[in-house]
Amino acid sequence: MDPSIRKIAFTLNGQKVSAQVESHINLVDLLRRFNLDGARESCGQGLCGCCTVLVDGVAVSGCLTLAQLVDGKSLTTVEGLDASGALSVVQQAFIDEGAFQCGFCTPGFVLMTHQLLETNADPDEHEIRDYLAGNLCRCAAYPEIIRAVKTAGDRMRAIST
Amino acid sequence: MKHHDIMPAGQVGRSVPRLEGRQKVTGRAAYTHNLVLPGMLHAKVFRSTIPHGRILSIDTSAAAAVEGVHRVVTGEDLRAIVAEPYFGPAFHDQPALALDKVRHIGEPVAVVLAEDPYIAAEAARLIVATYEELDAVFDEVEAMTSSAIVHDVLKPAGTFPDLKHLVGKRDTNIALDYQLRRGDVDAAFASADHVYEHEFKSQQVMHTPLEPMVSLAAPDGDGLLIHTASQSPSFVRIEIARLLGWPENRVRVKVPYLGGGFGAKLYIKLEALVAILALMVKRPVKLSLTMEEQFFTITKHACTFRIKSAVSSEGRVTGRRCEVYWNGGAYADIGPRVTQKSGFTAPGPYDIENVSIDSYALYTNRPPAGALRGFGIPQLVWAYESHSDMIARDLGLDPVEFRRKNILREGRPHATGTLMHDAEIEGVLEKIAERMNWSAPFDRGEGHIKRGRGIAIAFKASISPTTSVAIVTIAADGCASLAISTVDMGQASDTAMAQILAEVLGLATEDIKVIHPDTDVTPYDMATLGSRSTFHMGHAVRLAGEHARRQLDELAVSLGYAPGAAYAPRDLFKKKYGMQAGNIVGVGSYIPDYTSPAPKTGLSDNITPFWMIGGTGVEIEIDTQTGAIKVLKLINAADLGLPLNPKIVETQLSGAALMQYGFTLFENMLFDEGQLTNGSLADYKIPGLNDIPPVIENHIVDARQTTGPFGAKGVGESATFGVSPAIANAIHDAVGVRLTELPLTPESIFNALRAAKSQAGKA
Amino acid sequence: MRNFDIVHPSSWAEALGLLSGGDEGTRAFSGGTALMLMMKSGFYAPTRLIHLGALEARCSFIEATADGGLLIGAAATLSSVEASPVVQRSAPVIAQAMKKLANVRVRNVARVGGALAHGDPHMDLPPILAALGGEVLLCGPDGERTCPVESFYTGYLETRLSQGELITGVRLPPQAGWRSAYVKCTTRAADDWPTVGVAVSLRVVSGAIADARIMVGAATERLTRLTSAEAALRLGAPDAATFARAADAAAQEAVTVDSASGSAGYKTELLRVYVRRTLAEALLNGAVQ
Repeated sequence: MDPSIRKIAFTLNGQKVSAQVESHINLVDLLRRFNLDGARESCGQGLCGCCTVLVDGVAVSGCLTLAQLVDGKSLTTVEGLDASGALSVVQQAFIDEGAFQCGFCTPGFVLMTHQLLETNADPDEHEIRDYLAGNLCRCAAYPEIIRAVKTAGDRMRAIST
Repeated sequence: MKHHDIMPAGQVGRSVPRLEGRQKVTGRAAYTHNLVLPGMLHAKVFRSTIPHGRILSIDTSAAAAVEGVHRVVTGEDLRAIVAEPYFGPAFHDQPALALDKVRHIGEPVAVVLAEDPYIAAEAARLIVATYEELDAVFDEVEAMTSSAIVHDVLKPAGTFPDLKHLVGKRDTNIALDYQLRRGDVDAAFASADHVYEHEFKSQQVMHTPLEPMVSLAAPDGDGLLIHTASQSPSFVRIEIARLLGWPENRVRVKVPYLGGGFGAKLYIKLEALVAILALMVKRPVKLSLTMEEQFFTITKHACTFRIKSAVSSEGRVTGRRCEVYWNGGAYADIGPRVTQKSGFTAPGPYDIENVSIDSYALYTNRPPAGALRGFGIPQLVWAYESHSDMIARDLGLDPVEFRRKNILREGRPHATGTLMHDAEIEGVLEKIAERMNWSAPFDRGEGHIKRGRGIAIAFKASISPTTSVAIVTIAADGCASLAISTVDMGQASDTAMAQILAEVLGLATEDIKVIHPDTDVTPYDMATLGSRSTFHMGHAVRLAGEHARRQLDELAVSLGYAPGAAYAPRDLFKKKYGMQAGNIVGVGSYIPDYTSPAPKTGLSDNITPFWMIGGTGVEIEIDTQTGAIKVLKLINAADLGLPLNPKIVETQLSGAALMQYGFTLFENMLFDEGQLTNGSLADYKIPGLNDIPPVIENHIVDARQTTGPFGAKGVGESATFGVSPAIANAIHDAVGVRLTELPLTPESIFNALRAAKSQAGKA
Repeated sequence: MRNFDIVHPSSWAEALGLLSGGDEGTRAFSGGTALMLMMKSGFYAPTRLIHLGALEARCSFIEATADGGLLIGAAATLSSVEASPVVQRSAPVIAQAMKKLANVRVRNVARVGGALAHGDPHMDLPPILAALGGEVLLCGPDGERTCPVESFYTGYLETRLSQGELITGVRLPPQAGWRSAYVKCTTRAADDWPTVGVAVSLRVVSGAIADARIMVGAATERLTRLTSAEAALRLGAPDAATFARAADAAAQEAVTVDSASGSAGYKTELLRVYVRRTLAEALLNGAVQ
């Protein structure tokens, strides 16, 4: 058997799954095999954030992550956020604030915003900019993205109090 | 916003959220990027490593021997399917793969097909080509007279009458020479109180859409199905049909959402290659470029602009000569259109009696240049609005006041002779001056931090004449579908067009289904470019809706309703067909009036169906020790007629301005003897969240396009126009140095400060 | 970048054994961001990758040493260093610098060991650790050794890491009494590789600078210690005039290089400004207790 191919098992948006994986493929390639298109390889260098995936609850660049390394881990992709059928607070805030244009980068921004608000429930503009600076939006919906993060934070805090 | 009050209290003028919002925030929106077809092969391109040369040999044997490689194809192989595989919108000059010659580093020379993209990439690295190197030319001004000739013979496409005189021309790099002559510019210079002459340069930059260019072709019966991330599905169909010698209806082109376009995905790019490959191997073939490969595929023109003005002592511009040199790179793409369509606005939105314009499209051995959000306008504005400030300051005039004295006002003739209508140049200027608090004292900073402010205003004509067609289908339950070939690449055309149709039919925007471009289903549209869709397709959709409405009214009357009586469409169908059955189809087709410019003078009494007006004001801060620049405030204003969707319009304004902001401050394709040295986002930086100014304002100036659908016109580019010169003018205001070359980097500011200091030391 | 295997050793000894073949195609990695970039660009085609993931549990420690110094395991992520209370207390300059060092996703996976091993002069962490007097901890077939961070880099992407050797961590001496700062200057987008990175550490005793370390990254071909600038500081008053003398010495001394982000000449001028500013910031930051 080819030693570069391994069977890995992991949790994908709450479901236990497994796959035969070649050593060279990355996490975005792997997700494509499960028909998940939300993480997308764009710059290919971890700089644009279009390929953001949460691995064990931590955001990583899917294009720089070898797929075999997620063996035993738990992955959340943008498709996992509305598993209940309802949009997440962050997703709804992005719609309400018009925080995207072409939408290609949006899943990455949405996932990073979830991460930010998990660690910092009420970020100021400076903190929002710093945290999301590793995600690029060529349509430059940046002012709207900042507003969406604030709106999402406000709504999440309102729910939790 | 007061001006919305005159809108019907309905669908148009309402800030409807984007129809596709839910799909986009959940990651489920469809892009060609993600598309997979059964049996599909992945293509990987092997590219030229020299800027100019004759191909001596291409050794594909090692690549072909890699396990998993299906086939390796060179340009000569393509001739089995298409004898002359040259494409292009203005010139048929670009081969799907290099034939005989290569003309820029990064040009496609061969392609590997494999089922696994990693195998294709690995094999492509094993291809070896040898060349006889030829002299190369990289600079647009040198290309005018260089002995290095990029194309042996000019091959204009023949679709444009103003290119006919170029057919068969040899030994030239000039792909188009456009000229305009109005009045007597030499006499104006001879009698002027002051004459000013300056030269400005813009650098080559790239669109970097985050969805990299991608096309997929599949044999489909006796035809071809092309899925492509394109802004111009109708053109792709026509051009592929031409290459294959087929009728249009054998080529089907489908376009889902685009992950950004900005002009990169216009006309025809990868489609010719995948179409020929799919026919060759009788399987679907997908070509997905990497971010790096995009830099070799299409760029924005570098440009040199020499501008000379005659000015009276009161500050009136009486004559202006413009010489513009556009660096089109190795293939014309749409460069000749840029040269002409932008060329005639080179003197700026000013009322000048005597004008002379020469605008040249040049071939060079750089990656090809095409349209990028503004179609050449930002390069022109960069020059003429920097020039405006230089004149004003020399004359001791306030820059806003100088513009007030010279702007083109309602009813006055533009340089072409076309009378200005519905062009709020004054409104844009005054809005910016007001929001900048221009007449109030200004804090100029202290110590090594100096503050300054600047403005710039500009205009753009629409690309003419162009056609849009729309088809509306009313189903028997009264709901409506809209079939259009406008591509939604983020500008929210789906939403805007649905708003127009909903307004006409009395439906809710959210209930309209917009069918995405599929040339088997959606009718012709020239392309999604140049801010033309709102006006042209907007009219077509309005006409289609009115056509459908009329038929419904007639049906109602035929079924016994009193003329003008209210009815529910579903009741009409039920009554007519006895069940839920039938359709009403409305068709709308729109092409505006237009007069081509006269060949010798460039004059026309109707040069454009509408004018886009945009302007920018900035406040900045310079660190004089390092040259670092911070933009503190960015104010955008535009005349876009009445906004169909104010919120989306504002996003368009700030998005356009921020894109040009990157082109102004740091984006720059760097070359070493034709070799791009920074072709990735690691070294070609685009604006991120920490780059954008803390204060951004977007203003929709009170205006109405009387000829537009519901008073509207295009907006996607308007806020790009003024950004670069506004910032350069603010730099001068802050620290007294004038930069004439983009980008305005800290190093260039630092060097200018140092040069000024040593100059002052000598004096 | 195909047909390689990924192995997962469960001990240092096993990892070292796997590396001992001396094969260029074998490399160890943990976060893998830099390695992935090299593989994607075709710059490196491995035959075997040794993933140090299983060692992470015992090698991601961040702890105070008995003498008041700091010990950071090679597998500690940059995010964990940023969040560590121990780091914030005993070397706050590191925690502060992290936010500007790379994006959140990279910081989540990139490890201290990888950041040290990569050898790209644009990395921000090496100048900071060098200015703090840090030592790289190494283990190899011949046992363990240490190497000062400041002399770990021998050229562009070249380090003193031998074939078959691994970085296990970094050790910092006690920082009590030292004032430190790192300033990253970018000249294109705000978030970019530095054009110049300056790290300084100084000790002020009775109103005079008793000791100083000044490191420059990015502007030079490799991480460089600016000893003549340090000499210009020594025994001087910590004031603008002294800092300006050190800045001029730094500009004189450093051999800057041209790149897409600026010419060598401009980088020298930036260095002059940023040495001054970084010293002033260090002074302002106050001494570590």
